Amino acid sequence: MTQEALKVVGQSVLRRDGMGHVTGKTIYVDDINFPDMLHLKMVRSPVPHAKIKGLDFSEAEKVPGFVRALTYQDVPKNVYTILCLIGVGPDEEPVLAEDKVLYKGEQIAAIVAETEEAAMEAVSKVRLDLEELPAVLDVEDALRPDAPILKDWGTNYFVYEGHHCRRVRFGDVEKAFEEADNIVEGRYQTSPIEHAPTETTGCVAKPEADGRVTVYTNTQALFFTLDNTALILQVPFQKLHFVGGTVGGGFGGKVDVIVEPIATLAAMKTGRPVKYKFTREEEMRVSSSRGAWRMYYKDGVMKDGRIIARKVTSYADAGAYNRHTPYAVTKHAANVAGPYRIPNVWIDGYCVYTNRQPGSAMRGFGVTPASFAIEVQMDKIAEAVGMDPWAVRFINAYRDGDIKPHQKVVEDATLIEVIQAAAELVGHELPEEFKKMKSSDREEV
Amino acid sequence: MTTQAYYLPQSVDEAISLLAEHGPATLVMAGGTIAMPLINEGISLPEKVVGLRQAGLNYVSRSNGTVEIGATTTLTRMLTQEEIPLLGQAAYHVGGWAIRNMGTVGGNLFAPPPAGDFAVALLALDAQVVLVGEDGQRVLPLAEFYTGFMTTALTPGELVTELRVPVPKGVTVYLKYGRRQANTPAIVSLAAHLVLDGEKVTHARLALNGVGAHPLRATRAEGVLVGSTLDETAITEAAAAAAEECEPFTDPIASEWYRRKMVNVYVRRALAQVAG
Amino acid sequence: MASKIVSFTLNGRETEVIVKPLTTLQKLLREQLGLTATKAGCKQGGCGSCTVLVDGEPMMSCLLPVEDVEGQEVTTLEGLTQNGELHAIQETFYEKFAVQCGFCTPGMVMVAKALLDRNPRPGRAEIVEALTGNYCRCTGYEPIIQAVEEAARRTNGHGV
Repeated sequence: MTQEALKVVGQSVLRRDGMGHVTGKTIYVDDINFPDMLHLKMVRSPVPHAKIKGLDFSEAEKVPGFVRALTYQDVPKNVYTILCLIGVGPDEEPVLAEDKVLYKGEQIAAIVAETEEAAMEAVSKVRLDLEELPAVLDVEDALRPDAPILKDWGTNYFVYEGHHCRRVRFGDVEKAFEEADNIVEGRYQTSPIEHAPTETTGCVAKPEADGRVTVYTNTQALFFTLDNTALILQVPFQKLHFVGGTVGGGFGGKVDVIVEPIATLAAMKTGRPVKYKFTREEEMRVSSSRGAWRMYYKDGVMKDGRIIARKVTSYADAGAYNRHTPYAVTKHAANVAGPYRIPNVWIDGYCVYTNRQPGSAMRGFGVTPASFAIEVQMDKIAEAVGMDPWAVRFINAYRDGDIKPHQKVVEDATLIEVIQAAAELVGHELPEEFKKMKSSDREEV
Repeated sequence: MTTQAYYLPQSVDEAISLLAEHGPATLVMAGGTIAMPLINEGISLPEKVVGLRQAGLNYVSRSNGTVEIGATTTLTRMLTQEEIPLLGQAAYHVGGWAIRNMGTVGGNLFAPPPAGDFAVALLALDAQVVLVGEDGQRVLPLAEFYTGFMTTALTPGELVTELRVPVPKGVTVYLKYGRRQANTPAIVSLAAHLVLDGEKVTHARLALNGVGAHPLRATRAEGVLVGSTLDETAITEAAAAAAEECEPFTDPIASEWYRRKMVNVYVRRALAQVAG
Repeated sequence: MASKIVSFTLNGRETEVIVKPLTTLQKLLREQLGLTATKAGCKQGGCGSCTVLVDGEPMMSCLLPVEDVEGQEVTTLEGLTQNGELHAIQETFYEKFAVQCGFCTPGMVMVAKALLDRNPRPGRAEIVEALTGNYCRCTGYEPIIQAVEEAARRTNGHGV
C-alpha cells in the first residue's frame, strides 16, 4: 500500500460525532423522553451488612404519582453474575436484595412513579426493617478465620477452579531467595477510584407494540448487557432491542449491567417506558468503583541489580459482589510480576469480598494498580543495591523470546525502546550500553 | 413532598409575612446554590419555598466607614466592589463563575462546613449581621451568629437581611488551601486583618474556616499578635496557637491532623505576608 | 399546586411557559421544551454541564427556578448558531478535538462565549479561570483551552 493510496492513515481525522457535540445535537440517554414515561428510583441499604426482616410500602403507596414497587419476587432470575457469559460462576449478585444486603447502597426495592420527584418521595417513605450485622471492611480481615462469611458457598474469596486464589508458579522462589544478595520487600495499597463520568449511568426501557422492549442505554457493553438482561428476565434474546450510542464518559464505569434489567422489568410490568438514571450521589456512592488492591512484594535481588525471584501476594477488594473482579484478578496475575525477566516467580492473587461498594473495571483494570506497585518496587530495589533507577529497569527488562511467569512467550517487547524514548524526551543522558540495547537482543543476561 | 409553592416576595416585609403565615418548615433560599442541590437529590423535599432574589436585598452601599451589603448580593458583585478588596479576594475563592453569579453573601453564611469560606473575610473585619423578624430588627456581631455545627442565632421567622462591614484600616490577607486550585472546598481558608502603629501590632483579627464547626476567630492567636512587632517569634507562636485552638474534623477532603498542620502553615504564610 | 406562567426571552424569541413551582430552568429546557443541548450532569451546580447564559451571565440552570428568569434573556447552546452558521467557538472546539464524549461541551461553549463577549482577547490564565466551574473527565482540558484561544484569535478580538 503506497503512501499516496492512504487517505486516512497519517491524517488528522476530525471526529464523526464532533459536530453533534458542539451543536448540542448529540443524543444521550437522559435526552430521551416519552410522554407516558415513568421514573424508577431505588430503595437502598443504609448500612454495609444486614439481614432484611421486612419492607413496608404502605406510606410510599400513598404518595401521589406512585405507580408500583418491585421486589426480588418480581424478578424471574434474580441472582446472577455478569461474567456468567464467559463461564464464570456461581451466580451471586441479586438484582434486588432478597434476605440480606452486603453493601451500603445495595438495591433493595424499585419504586416506579409518574415523576422523578414522586419516585424520590416514595423511596423516602419505604420503611426498612433491617437487622444490622458486623461488617467486614478490609481485605485481610475478610480472610481471617473469624470473619463473617459473605458468600453462600462459604468463603470470602472467589474460588478459581477449586483454588483459593489465582496462582502462578514459575521456577523456585524459595531457593532463589537463599541465593539472593538482597531481599527487598514492599506493601502497596491503591485506593478505590470513582470514574465520575460527567454523564451518570442510566437507561430508558420502552415496551414496543410488537412485544419487544427497546432499551436506550449508555452502557459501554451493549451486547453483554443485552444478554445478561435477557437471562435475568428469562426472555429470548431477540425480545430485547438495545440501542447504545454516545456514552458521556465511561472509563470502565458503565460495564456492569446495573440499571437495564430492573428498568426493563419495570417497563414490561407497567406497559410504559421507564427511565432509571443515577443521580450524581448514586454515581459516586453506588456505581462500581475501580477496586482497591493490596499487594505484598518480596524480591530476591543480586548485587548487580538483577531480580532473580519475585513473590507477590495480592488482594483485590471486589467489594460485595463479583462484577468483573474475578476476571481482573486473572489479568492481574498475568501482569503483576511486571515486564521484567525474572526466572523464579510465585504469585497468589486473591479476589476478596468485603462489605464495600463493589469494584469493577476501570482503565487498565487489574494492571494499573500492579504497575504502581511494580515500579515503586523497582525504585526500592535501585535504592537497596545502590544503583540508578533507570539502570535497574534496563538490566531487568524483558526481551522477545523470554518466558513470562504464566508461561507466555514474550513477543514484540518494546519496554527497552520506550524507556530510551522517555529518557530522550526528558533530557536524561543514558550510558551507551543502555542506549544500544534492543528488545530483540537474545544474549543471556 | 413535591414543592407546592414558590414565593418571590418583593420586599423584606412581604418575606417575613410569608414565613409567619407558612411556618418554620418553609425553606428560604436566595441563590439556590445550597438549597437546590438538596432538593434535586431528593434529600430535602420542602412543601413551600421562599426565594429572596426580588426582595430588595441586592445592594452595596457605603455609610461613613462601613460598607452595607444586602444579603442577596451575589459573590460576583463582591469582585467588582472596590471598597474592601479583602471581600473580593474571599469571594473569588468560592466556586466558579456561574456559582459566584448565583451564590449570595447572606446564603454563604449557611453553607455546610467545610464550605462557607466567604465569612472568614467578614469575621476578620468585625462584620455585623442584621436579622429581621416579625418583632423587628436586631444586629449581631457575626462571631455571635454561628452557634454550632449547622446552627445559627437565627430564630424561626427571621431573615438575614444585611451585612455591615467596617472598612479595614490596616493590612488584610486572604488565603485558601484546597485539594484543587479552584472551585474546591477548603482544607483551610483564612483572612487576617492587622493594624500596625509603627512597629507594633495594635489590632489583630484572624479568622479560619474548614477547621471547626463553623468559620471561627483564632482569638488566642490574635492575643499573641497584639502588642507584638510581628517578628519571627510572634509569627511562630501565633501560628502554633491557631493550630491548637481550632477544632478541625476529618472528612473525605482532609483529615483532622492534616487540617491542623495546614492551619499552622497558612497562618504563618499570611502573617509573613503582612510583615512584608 | 398552582402552576405559574413565566415570560422570558429564549434564544432571541419571546417565550411563555407554564411551570410547576420551583421547576428548574434545566428541567424546563430539557423536558418541556425539548432543548436537550443543556445537560444534566449532577444537578448540584458542581459540574457546569447545565450552564446557560442569563442576560449574558453564566448560570447553573440546574439550580435556577424558572420563575427567577421572568423578563430576562436566556441563551442556550441551541441559540448559538446564527442563521445556520456555527459560532467560532463551536468551530474551534470541533477542529481542536476539544470534544470527546461531548457531555461537558455545551457548558464549556456557553462559558467560553460569555468570556469572549466581555473579553475578546483573554489570556490563557483568564480562560482557565473562566472555565473553572466546568468539569471535563475526558480531554484533560488542554484542547479546550486551546480551542478558546483559537476562537478568540478567529474573531480577531471583535467578539461575536
